[in-house]
Amino acid sequence: MTPELELRGITKEFPGVRACDGIDLTVKAGEIHCIVGENGAGKTTLMSILYGLLQPDAGHIVIGGRHTSIHSPLEAIDLGIGMVHQAFKLFPTLTVAENVVFRQEPSRRGVIDRRGASRRVRELADAYGLSVDPDAVVEELPVGVLQRVEILKALYRQASVLILDEPTAVLTPQERDRFFEVIRRLRDSGRTILFITHKLAEVMAVADSITVLRQGRSVAELDPAETTPEEISRHMTGRDVSPVRRGRTHTPGKVVLSVETLEVEGFHGLTAVDGVSLEVRAGEVVGIAAVAGNGQSELVEAIAGLRPVVAGTIHIGDQKVTHADVARRRRAGLSYIPEDRHRVGTVAAASISKNLMMGYQRSAQLRRGRWLSLAAVERHARQLCEHYSIKTHSVDAAAASLSGGNLQRIVVAREMSHDSPLLIAEQPTRGVDIGAIQFIHTQILDARDHGRGVLLISAELNEIQALSSRILVMFEGRIVAELDPDTVDEADIGLHMTGGAKVGA
Amino acid sequence: MPLAEQLLDASLWASVTRALIPVLLAAIGGMICERAGVFQISLEGMMLVGAFGAVAMAHVSGSATIGSAAAVMAAVLLSLILAFGAVSRDGNPIVLGIAINILALGITSFLLPQLFGVRGTFQPEGGVRIPRLLLPGLSELPFLGPVLFSLSFLGYVALVLVPLTWFVLFRTPVGLRLRGVGERPMAAETLGVSTNTYKYLAVIASGALTGLAGAQLALGNVGVFAENMSSGRGWIAVVAVLLGRAHPVGVLGACLLFGFAEAFGFRLQGQGLAVQITDAVPFVVTLIALVLARKRFTRLLDLSETKI
Amino acid sequence: MLKAAQRGVTTAITHPVTLALVASFGLGGVIIAATGGAPLAAFSEMLAGGFTGRGLHNTLGRSIPIIGMALAVSLAFRAGFLNLGGEGQLLMGALAGTMVAITVPGPGVVVVPVALAAGAAVGAGWALLAALGQTHLQVPLLITSLLLNYVGRSITSYLVRFPFGAPGEPFATTVPVPEAGRIPRVTLIPGGRVSISLVFVLALAAVLAVLYRRSVGGYETEMVGLSGPFARYGGVNVRRHTLLVMAGAGAIGGMVGTHLVIGETFRYIDADMSAQSGIAWTGLMVSLLALNRPMLIIAAGLLFAGLQIGGFAMERATGVSWQLAQVIQALVIVALVSRFAVTWKRRRAEAQATAPDAPEGEDAHVGKV
Repeated sequence: MTPELELRGITKEFPGVRACDGIDLTVKAGEIHCIVGENGAGKTTLMSILYGLLQPDAGHIVIGGRHTSIHSPLEAIDLGIGMVHQAFKLFPTLTVAENVVFRQEPSRRGVIDRRGASRRVRELADAYGLSVDPDAVVEELPVGVLQRVEILKALYRQASVLILDEPTAVLTPQERDRFFEVIRRLRDSGRTILFITHKLAEVMAVADSITVLRQGRSVAELDPAETTPEEISRHMTGRDVSPVRRGRTHTPGKVVLSVETLEVEGFHGLTAVDGVSLEVRAGEVVGIAAVAGNGQSELVEAIAGLRPVVAGTIHIGDQKVTHADVARRRRAGLSYIPEDRHRVGTVAAASISKNLMMGYQRSAQLRRGRWLSLAAVERHARQLCEHYSIKTHSVDAAAASLSGGNLQRIVVAREMSHDSPLLIAEQPTRGVDIGAIQFIHTQILDARDHGRGVLLISAELNEIQALSSRILVMFEGRIVAELDPDTVDEADIGLHMTGGAKVGA
Repeated sequence: MPLAEQLLDASLWASVTRALIPVLLAAIGGMICERAGVFQISLEGMMLVGAFGAVAMAHVSGSATIGSAAAVMAAVLLSLILAFGAVSRDGNPIVLGIAINILALGITSFLLPQLFGVRGTFQPEGGVRIPRLLLPGLSELPFLGPVLFSLSFLGYVALVLVPLTWFVLFRTPVGLRLRGVGERPMAAETLGVSTNTYKYLAVIASGALTGLAGAQLALGNVGVFAENMSSGRGWIAVVAVLLGRAHPVGVLGACLLFGFAEAFGFRLQGQGLAVQITDAVPFVVTLIALVLARKRFTRLLDLSETKI
Repeated sequence: MLKAAQRGVTTAITHPVTLALVASFGLGGVIIAATGGAPLAAFSEMLAGGFTGRGLHNTLGRSIPIIGMALAVSLAFRAGFLNLGGEGQLLMGALAGTMVAITVPGPGVVVVPVALAAGAAVGAGWALLAALGQTHLQVPLLITSLLLNYVGRSITSYLVRFPFGAPGEPFATTVPVPEAGRIPRVTLIPGGRVSISLVFVLALAAVLAVLYRRSVGGYETEMVGLSGPFARYGGVNVRRHTLLVMAGAGAIGGMVGTHLVIGETFRYIDADMSAQSGIAWTGLMVSLLALNRPMLIIAAGLLFAGLQIGGFAMERATGVSWQLAQVIQALVIVALVSRFAVTWKRRRAEAQATAPDAPEGEDAHVGKV
């Protein structure tokens, strides 16, 4: 039988921040225990400690009444703890079965028993309703399936405690419901589930008990039968949060972006964008809702000039830029907050001022004659840091020294300050704290109110709904619906996102 | 001889296998590193110290076997620099590899006068060679006999390593873990596989195999060491790993191409073409192959992470 | 004041570069001792031979091609490319420059610049082969630039033996460069003369230093080098920068090669030039040691040149073979890479650990187990 699990006074400090500050947590055997909190509340750090990835500075772990210390994931696995990370830890070129049995391969005389491995994986998958083909190569599978592979890995290692870190982030509403079925079935088989999330609806749907974390402390233990989302939210934030609202209605102005029957190739030369046409006008936010991998990234990259166009046309303002280089698109009026701020949006090794000057390096503002004025570069960086509340001791510090939220502010500051007619914001708030989220939302709505056209791509449906003037739904490379954010609900959007409402598309 | 006849000439193909062996041994070593996620470009240097160690110890001991063992030791020692710097200290393997190559050239050129009092070339009296092993029966087969069954012991080792490494990489737990370590080190670590151990072992294996390559190069034909005698073969092996996508069969194919180019260039020399031109043939062929097989190496196109 | 000076000294002593130098000389000493020599005597001969008296002049002369090749490497390296083809660029440029210096008539003020320009053009062209492979064929420059060395060596060897060879010589060489085609020597510091190219190469370092720091192109190149995806996203034409920096690197290489002939030996001798081409690798190491910064390259170039020149003096005086200098140089880089990485990694780890709201679940918090 699965033992009870207790964490007592767990404390973990990183230079400059106390991620966990004496967290207590009691998890009863065989329950679904939700751990909720904002980004940065210490959820992932706490779970990394439980899984042996990090060592606590203080506090201890008690499993089934016995004090335990866990020094590595291996020890955690031996104790029956499995973890599904938010960023999957799978080997792309190996098969599902190879991923699952890795390091515990069934073998005969030193040779891997590949058929046996496949059979075991299929049996496990069938037992819990996790349909996967054991012989499929992982890199060819959609994200939803990858998650099942991760769960199978834990089950194969006989995990009795399963940690799921933000597991629904990659799922559509429909996939999510199926996923909830799976974890209920796992609970009913006697396993304990630790479910980390910040989505309150999910908590209410599956939790047997709830622990709320805030700023590295456990601030409440709640019974879902006796609480409300509002109460949880209050505990999470310590205050009542009023989400940013779309605000005034407006009349869109002239067209700042027009895309016609665009065709773009994606991974492996497959058609990723398949005849998309859309327009963005000054003074409106056009939201694109899509499940990851339905062509929205390729669409944005094609508009931004980072991916070649196979067919169709792109106009920014009144200039045709279908095959133009990035510099020309930027001159035509493009600014762009990319999805991957670490790799694309910033350079970790360069100073903050050098990060902030990209795109300005040829402007007279930063130059004296032919040469860059180092004083002007610094002044420019200081101004932006102040105006966009970027916290740093020096603009000469490397961008690597910034937190995720501050790093995103760098990108937002730079792209917003260009004052260009078209702004593309791709997953602008992914993984940043709630303060930064509100700030970025306000900036986007401000940009709209100042007559800029915004193309917003987000996996967060509530973000799409809160900010968009119109919602376009993309599915398998096509735009399958245009929806009015005031009249649709999440389930509707979700249905379109999975191709469930193809009528009229 | 007409061209078609030349292409079927057993003596041409015998020289193809001879040219192939050292490169293949080194390339298999490089392939193992590549699979473990260590970019190994110090094959050239390791081959050179291997050749030096082989000639030096064969001279002292009078035994080709001891010479070959010394070659392995010397190259493994050199490979440990890469293992320590790139694996334990997370240094840049490309920069380290280049430094190791320069170090190898320097140290062999330094030791040559220091130990043997000669410069440039060291050819000990009655130079020890690795004998050819004529496989009974098989070596008398027409064509195949001289081409495949009259090699030195190391020649057979190289050829057997192709299926053997395939089997280990793709059919055994060790191979699965090695590939996992190379592909997603973090994922392997969380499952309790020590990436450092596998990377160290891979680098050491490449040292051992490349040392043998050096031994074959120095003791395979004449028993002589010349300054910088690897003369680009280690680099060709690096390219062979890339061209063959770190798959044993692909690597063998790429090495064959190179071996053929070298043998063919040698043949052209016999027909009066200047040696300076024929020397370039393997490199030109390699460059052409790189162009034809392009788009496989995107990883190496953007070295923006390259810092020392 | 005093405290600051003390701190400065401490930083200098514990600086990775200092430590790398100390470690490699230590290891070099061990090697000398192991092969039966006396390390201290050898090293003092080396330093005296490289940095005093006539040796200093030789060191200055030797530093010209080393600094030049290091500047060439730094140019490409800052843009994120390891140009391993310095040797080929040097040789191809050298032969072209030499032939122009031999065949073009006229006064020195015309012939020498034209010869250098020819060397630069051919060196740039040779480097562009590799660069174009990268930008248009997706064949990595790292590999092609290196392989082209062997091809370049073959081509120059062939040319100097047959079409351009001086008849009746027992070895492969061109005819001597006429007086007008030679780079003059001047007295910069008393006691000896040194090629005027030294002034040229120091000026080049200064120009590059300003370009790197103050020009738009310098900024863009640096961004390309730090992150290709970021530069592309920001509208920098990565392809153009690749071609430009490689052409620049090749041009410098070609001029260095030309200098080696029309400034030093006055005829292109095949065997000599093959032996000289190790300079490309020395230059690479100097650039790495100097972290690609032109002013530091001058210092590091002088140091490595002094080690080589001192190596010859050491061999004459103590019998310890001069190639030890090369061993020590390579060990410096090995030590630097292995040790630097530690501080680098630690800094990166700290940066991530201080990021409380870094995307949760990413490897950021997880670190190495």
